[in-house]
Amino acid sequence: MKRRRFLKIILAFLGSITLFSFVNSFLKFLAALPARTAEINKLIIHKNEIPSGEAKNIIYRNAPAVIINRSDRGFIALSRVCTHFGCLVEYNRAERRLICPCHAGNFDLEGNVLSGPPPKPLRAIPLRIDGENIILG
Amino acid sequence: MWKKMKTWLDVRIGLNDFVRTKIVDYRIPKNINIFYTLGFLAVIAYAVQAFTGIVLLIYYIPHPDHAFKSVQDIMAKVPYGWLFRQMHVVGSNLMITVAILHMITVFLMGNYKRPRELTWLGGGISLLLTIIFGFSGYLLPWTQLSYWATTVVTSMPTAFPVIGDSIALILRGGDQVTEVTLSRFFALHVAILPPIFLTFMGIHLLLINRIGISATPFGMVDEEKRPLTEYKRKTHPDGYPYYPVFFQKQMYMMMAYFAVMFFIVTFLPNLFFPEEANLPADPFKTPPHIRPAWYLLAPYQLLKLIPNKFFGITIQMILLTIFLAWPFLDTYQEKNVLKRPILRGVFIFLLVMWVVLLFWGRNP
Repeated sequence: MKRRRFLKIILAFLGSITLFSFVNSFLKFLAALPARTAEINKLIIHKNEIPSGEAKNIIYRNAPAVIINRSDRGFIALSRVCTHFGCLVEYNRAERRLICPCHAGNFDLEGNVLSGPPPKPLRAIPLRIDGENIILG
Repeated sequence: MWKKMKTWLDVRIGLNDFVRTKIVDYRIPKNINIFYTLGFLAVIAYAVQAFTGIVLLIYYIPHPDHAFKSVQDIMAKVPYGWLFRQMHVVGSNLMITVAILHMITVFLMGNYKRPRELTWLGGGISLLLTIIFGFSGYLLPWTQLSYWATTVVTSMPTAFPVIGDSIALILRGGDQVTEVTLSRFFALHVAILPPIFLTFMGIHLLLINRIGISATPFGMVDEEKRPLTEYKRKTHPDGYPYYPVFFQKQMYMMMAYFAVMFFIVTFLPNLFFPEEANLPADPFKTPPHIRPAWYLLAPYQLLKLIPNKFFGITIQMILLTIFLAWPFLDTYQEKNVLKRPILRGVFIFLLVMWVVLLFWGRNP
C-alpha cells in the first residue's frame, strides 16, 4: 500500500470516529430531560365526585387523563391525549363520546375510535375500586 | 471634508471602483419588471425581522412562568414595545408572503431553468427556513394558540414508523410541550436558524451574482438556449444601469412594503391575533377550533381530510420534494409559461387548491 493511500484511510477512519462520537453525544444531549414537576403515581378519588354519566379531568403521571362514570359499565380512566396529534379530548355528555377539538376525532367511552383521523384508541389507565374510592396506580 | 473621507476610503478599499462596477455600470435587462424587486424586498423584510427581534429580546423572558407576562408587558408597559412586537408579528407574515410571491414570479418567468437550478434550490430552502422561523417564533409568547399549534405540529413526525417518536421527542424534549420545548424553540429561533438562514441566503445571492440576472421570457429571444458546456456569466451590455433605474423600483417597492405593514399595525392590529393568542397557555385544555398560522393552513387542512396520518404527511413531503427539485425535473427548454398550457394548467390548479384549502382550513 502506498503511503498516500494509507494516510487517506487513516484520515477517513479518524474522521468517522470523530463524527460518530460527536453525533452520538449530540443526539443524547438533545434527548429528553426528566420532567421537573413531581409525578403523581397514585391518585385516589371519591366515587361521589363523579355522578353517573359524568366525567372528571385529572392529571396522572404528569399527563392529562379523564375518569368517566359510565351509567351502564361503571368507571373507566382514559388518557386525554388524542392519538392523532396530541390535542386533548373533551368528554361530551350529550353524545356520550370523547371529542378532539383539533381534527374532530371521536372516541367512544371505551376509548375506541368512532370517526375522524386518530389511528389508535385512547390509552386506558388501569384503575381499581376500593369501597367508596377510585384508585389509580 | 466629505471628499477627503471618500478619497481616504477609495485609496484603501477601492470605493470608486466598487460604486462604478457594482452600481453605476452594472446593467440590468431592458425588459425587467417590478416583480424582479421581490427578492430585494424579501431581504429588507428579513432585516426588519432581525432588528425588531433583537429589540424584543431585551424584554422577553423564555420561561413558561414569565413568557406570556413578558410579552404582555412588552405590549402594554414598555414604551413603544407594542410597535416593535406588531412590526415583528406583521413583518413575519409579510416576509413569508413576499418570499412566496418571489418564488411564484420566478416560477412563472421560468427563471429557475438552467443554469439557475441551484439558485432556485437555495431560494426554496430559504423559504422553508423562513416558515420554520415563523413556526419556532409562534411558541415563544406561550399563549393557548402557540402552545396547541406547537403540540399539533410537533406530533406530526410520529406518523413515521420507527424514527417518528424519537424525532418528536427530540423536537419537544419530552412527551409533551413543556418548558424544555420553549427553551429549544427559543434557541432555534434566535441562535440556530439565523446563521443557517444567512448561509443559504448568502449562497442564493452569490449565485445570482455569479450567474447574472435572467431576462424575462416575454417578448425577447431567450439567450439561455445555448448549449450549456462552459461557465458564462450573463451580462446585459445594452441594458439599463442598475442605478438609478432599478434602484428606484426597489425603493418604491420597499416603501409600499412599509406602507402595508404600518397600515395593518395601525388599522388592523388584531389581524394576526385571534382570541387564543391573548390567553396564557393552558397545557390541560385544548381550545376549540385550534388552527396554525395562515401559511400552514393548507397542509393542516389536507391532514384533516386525509384519514391516514402517515399517508397525509408522506404526500406533503413528496410535493415538497417536487417543489424543491422542480428545475431538475423540468428539462423542457421553453421558458415562457404562456407557451406551455399543461404546466400553466397544473400551476393554476395547484394554486387554486392551495387557496381553497387555506380558506377551508380557516373554518372550524
